[in-house]
Amino acid sequence: MTHTSTYRVRRVTGTVSTDDIIPARYKHMHTDPKLLAPHLFEAYLPGFVDTVEPGDAIVSDSVFGIGSSREQAVSTLLANGIGLVIAPRFGRILFRNCWNLALPAIETDTDRLTEGMTISLDLGRGEIRCEGTVLATFPEPPPFLLEMISHGGLLPRVKTRVTGA
Amino acid sequence: MTKKLERGAPLAEQIIAGHLAGGEGPVTPGRLVTVRPDRVYVQDGNAPTIARLYEQHGFTTVFDPERVSFVFDHSVLVADVDMADRMKDADRFAARLGVDVRARGQGISHVLAAEVGWFSPGALVLGSDSHTCVGGAFGALGLGMGASDIVAAMVTGTTWLRVPDTVEVRFTGTPARATRPRDVLLSLLRDKGQEPFLYRSVEFTGAWARSLSDDASASLASLGVELGAKCVFVPDEQGAVPTGTAPGLPRVDFDIGGLQPTVALPHLPARTVPLDEAAGTPISYVFLGSCTNSRLEDIAEAAAVVRGRRVGPGIQFVVTPGSNAVYREAMRAGYIDTLLTAGAVVTPAGCGTCVGTQGPLPARGENVLSTMNRNFRGRMGNPEANIYLSSPVVAAATALSGAIPRVEDLP
Repeated sequence: MTHTSTYRVRRVTGTVSTDDIIPARYKHMHTDPKLLAPHLFEAYLPGFVDTVEPGDAIVSDSVFGIGSSREQAVSTLLANGIGLVIAPRFGRILFRNCWNLALPAIETDTDRLTEGMTISLDLGRGEIRCEGTVLATFPEPPPFLLEMISHGGLLPRVKTRVTGA
Repeated sequence: MTKKLERGAPLAEQIIAGHLAGGEGPVTPGRLVTVRPDRVYVQDGNAPTIARLYEQHGFTTVFDPERVSFVFDHSVLVADVDMADRMKDADRFAARLGVDVRARGQGISHVLAAEVGWFSPGALVLGSDSHTCVGGAFGALGLGMGASDIVAAMVTGTTWLRVPDTVEVRFTGTPARATRPRDVLLSLLRDKGQEPFLYRSVEFTGAWARSLSDDASASLASLGVELGAKCVFVPDEQGAVPTGTAPGLPRVDFDIGGLQPTVALPHLPARTVPLDEAAGTPISYVFLGSCTNSRLEDIAEAAAVVRGRRVGPGIQFVVTPGSNAVYREAMRAGYIDTLLTAGAVVTPAGCGTCVGTQGPLPARGENVLSTMNRNFRGRMGNPEANIYLSSPVVAAATALSGAIPRVEDLP
């Protein structure tokens, strides 16, 4: 399966926790990701959310998304139009949550991806490119994960299986 | 579905093999498999989102109402109207599903899971909270998951898993007198980083790990997620979790001989230092609670430290028992009376102030010492507070003096 899209790189630095992505108190207040959206990285990167544009990719230089089970960390990224997350390593639960919500989470070396750069992701080939040059590679995700992307997430896939719709 | 654990294959693989949904096999690291959990539990921080996902996708039922539980632990004393509304949503949703409900004040999901037997050797348990890894203290494969994963499991009775690699952590030696499991685990995290443990099943071995009480094992296992692990297992003398591991597993040796008590500095658990390096730091708010350290043994230790003494002036010492049963046992044993006499505030059981979804919130610039798992910025509800982490012994001593003590100051 080939799945290619273009994104603008947005770098984040350091070990990022789920509390850094969305503080717990907001997830307890709201269930609508649109209401969570303005609080993305509120304490970790004040003002960052105002600079986010649809089609941005979060590119981390360290472990991304350690900590809580809160899927709201991912739905808040999505509600801001983030379309891709790349990190050398991920927190396990956040990694699952990303794919479950059809947000590709790519584990690879991010050294050559710089702020503002336009990159393309080729899931099938396991490549991240900029102007034709391959900047990072990764193993092709298992068919199960790719299927989640094509269904728009885990639950639409479950619904198809349960109802046959 | 539960199966006796044996020495041999890695424990996570044994448990997964016992819960396969179909004839998939073999269970080898890296494979994606589908399993049937014995129990799925939901905490109230995610219950409203889970209700919303049910509605959004047109789901109306659970695979087995007997094996799905809702635990209201994160927002017990709600002081925010929006959160109060969300709790009502969650109440109504649980009632519609007809599932088992543990009401506010009954306790923290992971503490209850051990008390009521959801965590039993060989069980596979999913929780909508990252600290479900506590199950490994009782021989259960406890996996924390996000809302969509939990919804899928509630509807279908199955979930997908990647069979983890397993790593053994072998402790050698005996730590210093006042050193507790959390000090050991956070020292391990500081020294080795998350890299050796990320996504892996971690099996602890060695005489020290085997000697831990259930309360102490739970404290150690609770911090597994901070290590980056998928799950952890703590051996015991009774053999519910076997001692020793399968031959040929990668091993991390960790010498804890004479290891001193620790404090984690703001804002990462990995920023753990020996206690004496942080000694003297002024603290005006001490929190004893959370799924790391809110059990009877923890409360007993704190009571022993403050017995006959007073919490220092201008210091807030908040104690939140992990469960209603712990609370009542602590009352019967006189610990609660000792704490109250010393000037502590004792709240109803639950997660307490750990995630900042209920009070008391720390003030701006305030230094907090807490026994919880993690001190990420903004945890406890105020990004302008500085959160330090320690064991209950150090926390109680700090509440008396208003500053992080030296090792020699500890009883």
